Formats: sequence, C-alpha cells, structure tokens
Amino acid sequence: MKVYLAEFWHFSKESLALVTRGSHGYMAWLALLVMMILGGAWAYSNQLSFGLVTSNMRDPVSWGFYIGNFAFLVGVAAAAVILIIPAYIYNWGPIREVALLGELLAISAIIMCMLFVTIDIGRPEMVWHMMPGVGTPNFPYSLLVWDVFVLSAYFVLNFFVATYLVFMSYTGRKYNPAFIMPIIFLSIPLAISIHTVTAFLFMGLKARPFWNEAILAPRFLASAFCSGPALLVLIFQVLRKVRPIQISDAALRKIGELLAYAMAINLFLLGCEVFKEFYSHSHHIIHAQFQWFSLEGGYGIAGYSLFALTCNVTAFVIFIVPAFRNRIPVLLCGCVLAVAGVYVEKGLGLLLPGLTPDVIGEVYRYTPSLNELMVGAGIWGVGLLSFTFMAKISIAITLGEFGYRRT
Amino acid sequence: MKNPERDEQLDAKGASRRKFLRTTAAGVGAAAGVPAAAEAFDFETFFQKNFRSMSDEEIDELTDRLARKYEKKYGKPFDVQATGPVDNVVFGYGLDISRCIGCRRCVDACVQENNQSRDPEIQWIRVLEFERERVVRGFELEDGNPYYDHEQAPAEGMVYLPIACQHCEDSPCTNVCPTGATWEEPDGIVVIDYDWCIGCRYCMAACPYGARHFNWAEPNIPADEVNTNIHPLGNRPRGRGVVEKCSFCIQRVRDGRYPACHEACPVGARKFGNLLDPNSEISYLLKNKRTFVLKAELNTRPKFFYFYG
Amino acid sequence: MADDDPGEVGDQSQPGGLATWVVLGLAVVLVLGLLSLRCALGPDAARSYPSRTLPPEPLPVLLPPPEMNDEYMPCDDCHEGEPTNPTPRELEDDHEETVLAHGDLWCLRCHDTDQRDNLRLSNGTLVDFEDSWKLCTQCHGQRLEEWKAGVHGKRTGHWWGAKEYWTCVACHDPHSPVFKPIEPKPPPVRPSSITWKPRIEPEETDREEP
Repeated sequence: MKVYLAEFWHFSKESLALVTRGSHGYMAWLALLVMMILGGAWAYSNQLSFGLVTSNMRDPVSWGFYIGNFAFLVGVAAAAVILIIPAYIYNWGPIREVALLGELLAISAIIMCMLFVTIDIGRPEMVWHMMPGVGTPNFPYSLLVWDVFVLSAYFVLNFFVATYLVFMSYTGRKYNPAFIMPIIFLSIPLAISIHTVTAFLFMGLKARPFWNEAILAPRFLASAFCSGPALLVLIFQVLRKVRPIQISDAALRKIGELLAYAMAINLFLLGCEVFKEFYSHSHHIIHAQFQWFSLEGGYGIAGYSLFALTCNVTAFVIFIVPAFRNRIPVLLCGCVLAVAGVYVEKGLGLLLPGLTPDVIGEVYRYTPSLNELMVGAGIWGVGLLSFTFMAKISIAITLGEFGYRRT
Repeated sequence: MKNPERDEQLDAKGASRRKFLRTTAAGVGAAAGVPAAAEAFDFETFFQKNFRSMSDEEIDELTDRLARKYEKKYGKPFDVQATGPVDNVVFGYGLDISRCIGCRRCVDACVQENNQSRDPEIQWIRVLEFERERVVRGFELEDGNPYYDHEQAPAEGMVYLPIACQHCEDSPCTNVCPTGATWEEPDGIVVIDYDWCIGCRYCMAACPYGARHFNWAEPNIPADEVNTNIHPLGNRPRGRGVVEKCSFCIQRVRDGRYPACHEACPVGARKFGNLLDPNSEISYLLKNKRTFVLKAELNTRPKFFYFYG
Repeated sequence: MADDDPGEVGDQSQPGGLATWVVLGLAVVLVLGLLSLRCALGPDAARSYPSRTLPPEPLPVLLPPPEMNDEYMPCDDCHEGEPTNPTPRELEDDHEETVLAHGDLWCLRCHDTDQRDNLRLSNGTLVDFEDSWKLCTQCHGQRLEEWKAGVHGKRTGHWWGAKEYWTCVACHDPHSPVFKPIEPKPPPVRPSSITWKPRIEPEETDREEP
C-alpha cells in the first residue's frame, strides 16, 4: 500500500510537470483557455457583486443559458461512457482503446455540469443546505437532489476508474480486470440514470406542458447519444493530428454508424413530438409555436430551431449513407453538425419554449447577456482545460513518453 | 393586444420611474444602490438551521437577530413576531371576477405591506386584463395583458384577473425545492424560509401561476416606507438571490386581521377567511357561488377561488 | 491498435471478480435500502406548533355613510318649509349637477316627502340616512343576504375579530350606484427594463462626494 501511495505521489507530481510543458501550439491552446477562464472569472465576479441581474434571466424566464448548457453537458457526460458498451462488452478492439478518452470527456463534462448548476443559483454559499447530514435535502421529492446525487456518484466513479487505469499503466502494471470491470459496468446504468434524472427534472413539472411529456427522457438520451460520440470523434481527430497516437479510421467510422442510429431515433422522437403538438392543437401548442415560429412580433428562437433541425437532418444523411460516413472529412462535418444541432436543440432550444410564454402568458424574449455568455465561456474553458490535461497525461503514457520505472 | 409602440412607451416610463426611485433611495442612505457586500457576512445567519428544525428558543434568537439586523439597516425599531398558526384554521381566498376593476390598489398595498423591492421592482400580485369578448371562452392566460396603462379603470369592455400565490394544497413548488426551504404550514399558507432558500429557482419553473419572484439584484426599500411589523416567514425584507412570494400576509392573518390586498380593494372584490369555519365568508361563497380555480386540470388544488358575485 | 479488425478479442474480457461484484452489490442494496427507508418516512413534517386559538369575536361595526359635504348636504338645508311637487321632472337649479341614475327612481321614492332628512321605507317607517341600507335592501334583497354573509360588499379589520361592515352607501353613490372608473396605479415594470449597468453610476458619484 505504501508503495502505491509513494508512486501515486510521484505520479501526481510528474503529471503536474507534464501538463505545463508542451509545444507552442499546446501553450497557445492553454493560453486561450486561461483567457476564457479569466474572462469568465471576471464576469462571475460581476454576478457575485450585483446578483443574477447580470444575466438576462428574469422572472418569466427564470432558467436560461446556464441550465441549457447543463442539460447539454449531462448528455455529453452520459454518452461518452456509452462507448464503453461496444468496447468492453463486445470486445471491439478499436473502440476499446479509445474508451478511456471517453471517460475523460465524461469527467470534464460533469465538472462543467456542476459548475453550470453552481453559478446558476442565487446563493451558492448556501448549497450545503441540500447536503444530507448538515442540510435538509428534500429527498426523495426534489429531482434536483436526485440529480446532484447521481451526478456526484457518476463523477466519483468515472474519476476513480480513469485515475486507476491511467495510474496502472503509468506504473507499468496491468490493470486488474476482476477489480475494475464491475465498476466500469456499473457506470453504464449510472450514465443512463444521470440523463434520465436530468430529463425528469424538467419532465416532472406539470406547470410546463412543453416539458411535461413522457417523450422527454427518451429524447434526452437519443440526442445525448448523438452529441456525445460526435464530440468524441471530433476530439479524436484533433488528438491524432497533434499527437502521434493511433486512432483508426475504422473506430471513427464505427462511431459514425452508431451516430446514424442515435440520430435516426432522435429525429423520429422529434417528429412524434411535432406531430402531437400540431395535430392535436391544444392550447399548449403556443410553446411549439414559439419554438418553430417565434410567435408574432419580435425575436424568437425559430431561427435556432430550424438551424438545429437542418444540422441534425444533414448529419443524419451523412451518418446513414456509408459512402459519406466512410469519408473521414465528411464524417467530421457530420459530427460538427450533430454537435451544433444538439447543442442548440437541447440547450436554449429546450429551455426557452418550455418557459415562453410563461405560466401566466407573458412573452419575455430571452437572449443570454454578454456577462452570462462570458461566465459560460469560462466554464467551457475549465472543462476543456481539465480535459486537455487529462488527455495529455493519458496519451503520454500510452505513447510510452511518460511513465514510472519501478526499481 | 401587445402593442410594440405602447410597450416602448411603457419601458421609457418604467425607466424614468426607476430613475426617480433610485434618486429617492440614494437620499435614504445605506440601503440604496450598494450592490456588493451590502450586508457583512453574518456567521449566525450562515449557520442558522432550517426554520422547521428550530426549537422555540432558536426561533426567539432568530426574531431577535432579525430585529437587530433590520434596525441597523433601516434605522428604526422592528417588531418581529414568528406567530404560529391558529388551531382549526385553514385559510382560503375568494376573488370576485365580476367586481374587480383592475385598479391595482391591491398590488400597491401588497408592495407596501410586504416590503417588496421598489428597485428592481418586485410585485407579488399581477393583474391581467382581458377582453370581455374573449373571456366568454374562459380565461386563456396568454390573452392577458398585465401592462395596461389606462387613464381610468376599468376600461371599456375589459375584465381583470389578479393572480398571486394560490396556496395550493398539493403545491408543485414545495415538492421540487431541493432544500426543503418552502412548505405548507398547518393553516395552509405556503411559506418560504428566506434564510434557507439557495435561489436555484426550481420552484419558479414548477409554479403554474407565476407566483414566485426572484431577487435578481439587491432589493431596495426606502427606509421611510419599510413595514416594521414583520414575520420571519412573511414580509421580512428579503436578500439578494432568494425567491419570494405571497404569504396571505401571514403577519396579519395569524392575528385575525385581513390581508393587506383585501383591505385595499375599493370594490370589495376580495374575500378571505377560514375554510374550516362553516360560517365564514369564504365558506359561504364556496357553497353559494359559482367558483373556479386556475388551471384546475393540474390538480394543484389551490385555496384561492375566483367567483362570479 | 492500427489493426481495425472488429473481431479482435482482448484478454481482459472476464466479467470481473466475485469480490468486487459482491461489494458493489451490497453498496447498491444499501443505497436503495436507505432510499426506500427515507421514502417510507416521508417528507419532513411541518414544525409542530403549540396549540393557539383566537379570542371570541366582538360584534361587527357598520361603517357609517360618508359625511355630508357640499355635494351632499341635508335636503332641509334648502327645502325646509317648501311645498312639495311630487311630479318627476328634469332636475334644475342647484340640482343640475346631481346625476340621478338609479333605475327610474325619483327623489321621493326614497326621501320622505315631508321629513326630507329622513328616508321612508315602503311600509312608511322613517329611517335616518345612517340606516340607509335598510331602505336599499328593500329592493336589493339578494344583496342583503350576500352582504350579511360577507360575499357582497366590503369588510375591513379582522377575518376573526373586530370587523367593519361597509354599508351600501360607503361604496355606492345612492343617486348613481354604478361604480365610477378610477385611475389605476402604474403598470409593472417590464422584465426587459430591469438592468444592472445603470446602477453603478450613481453609486460611484456618491462615493466621490465626501
């Protein structure tokens, strides 16, 4: 045990040294992220001094850009781990080798999720009020408590698995599958559950007919299985350009195939929803009208909704036709479209029609404020920075550049 | 109904009014315009328990502390009473749709009584204006306009629907609160512990009546207008970053008094009383009048009844 | 890894050791157990308060009608000793301003022909202006019931305790009982006009001043 601890200490120290070194391109990337984070910190200090009035959220639209990002990122976190299924259960080699990167992405996404929720609340210093023991969590009634619990569990689990795998290969040991496989398997239902619980968070609100539909949870999962793997493909492409790691085209194509199914289901569920709203034409249709036609007179999100739809449909065509999918540049375009489409569809595209018009019919046309966008960018900076660091360490170990020679 | 030109005028009007308020507030002193760290970090408040877990002694400490805090902030003595519920009382509210003239006297009285922020403006009661011709098909809240600005109310052919907290028996807002900072009291009043709320605004997403309002910025109440008779779960001045709402004037009704909006209504459209007392006004109107509740299909079972008198 | 043969079978494919499964299984059972226990116990009960009742109610007070003023002065101030013309006609002279819009009622339907400072019920009983509600409710009987029940009209004071019942004329002008429109209070500020930037400026100028 003592040996492990000493080695882990060494690992942590060396890792810290490793991530602060790198090529010019790497340093420039870090500088960009640090600038985003500093900008975000400045914007957040504004928010702390003046309150959430620095955002454009107001009483009628009480959740906005922050929670939209949260919903999107929970999906990324959940879906990144879903790659584990083909990797480990079906023992499909090419993907298994990259599944670790999926876990790292999941960890970064959860960090961002937690940050987005924390900055969204009015009195972040009081979050201990919902912790068991010291506070009075409204459990099992509040889905927000559920969400915090499952997200924390998911984070701890993935962080442990990733650290274990990386550390073992750092010290040149072989990981013990008998120990780690059950934990990895456990993360699969947890991945589903974090996203289901997040969908329930919205679905359970009878005040908001746009969300209060059973289709929301499946839609969340379907769109997550589009955005998460698509984001991973893009990340793999970047990584294999900047580092000499070998990620085969076959792996990317395989993920592309997976994306085709996910996007097909996602579009199908969207179609079900649109049919239900517009055919039945109950007075709840006003939210769908806001989503697709902006209502009359003024800014709306119809443009965004149509943009997301176009992105998703195009991405679907790319993924489903083997001739497109198998050409890596085209596949990458499809992934960009899928990420963009789902980001809009599941971020503000989900939040705003649910909240506009508000429960007593007021139409407040929300757009994020500059300050809000800067805080959001800062959090993306934190997430990307943490992913960069973790990926750098794990790739360096895989490449044999970074390791610990036991004596 | 939502006329962009008029909207602009209204916005301009709102802006100038706020400017005016700001100037007056600045004259009042410390309470005005200071955003950050307006209140020093208070160790006792930070580690204070959820109101529901407090012993009687701890509630006494709380009321003392609140009295000291507000006296310091507003420069006048406060009477803080954490009056408990009365036995065999469940409050109900009735509002006569056929009487209401949309004069917003209730809104004004509520703001004064319950120490709502003047800048940024928070109003617990919202009065929606509808065209009578459209209301024959029922109140479609999307048709309502809270921003009407007439010389005289009621305007020709218009009807009015004031909305505040409906004090639901099965309240979605209390169910979703992650910290248990809001709950229904034994007398049916849905209250918020303003020291326990973390400001996640989940309750605002869950409330079907738009009754909950968030302190987006530091609330401001001119010291000469602040109501000094306060209840910790009711009209105490709130802080930035918490959600607030109507409490049926808990500080008044638990002493047997009528809520402030009830007293202010010039046409007697507002009715209030004990649902468990068969002789109360509210019981009479439930027995004898055509009543309805908003969004009955949601099964929130509001204790706020609209009726045609 | 350049090999993209999908059929490759790794050697770490065993499903895991019994020990880990058992530990994880126990953890899951424990968590679920605690959850169901918490569910079974239900939410935090509301705080238990000591029993409290309110004192018995005093009798209600009837709010007197508005004071006489320039507009409404006692009839006898002018009409004392004058002969009475009971025929309904256009109001003139000092009564030009008086709007009489109460159905098709004429003055003497309510005011007594001889004792002008009294009102006369249909059975001939004279009542003071103070008790005008007795006269009104001769026709508006349904309203009387509702007023007594508290559903029509206005009450102030206490829902339990000292109550003031507003009488008919406290709200309605008996000569023209329909409510007159009044000026409403200003509309609420739109959410879009609540901003934070402008608030910095007055604060900074305040600081510069000694």
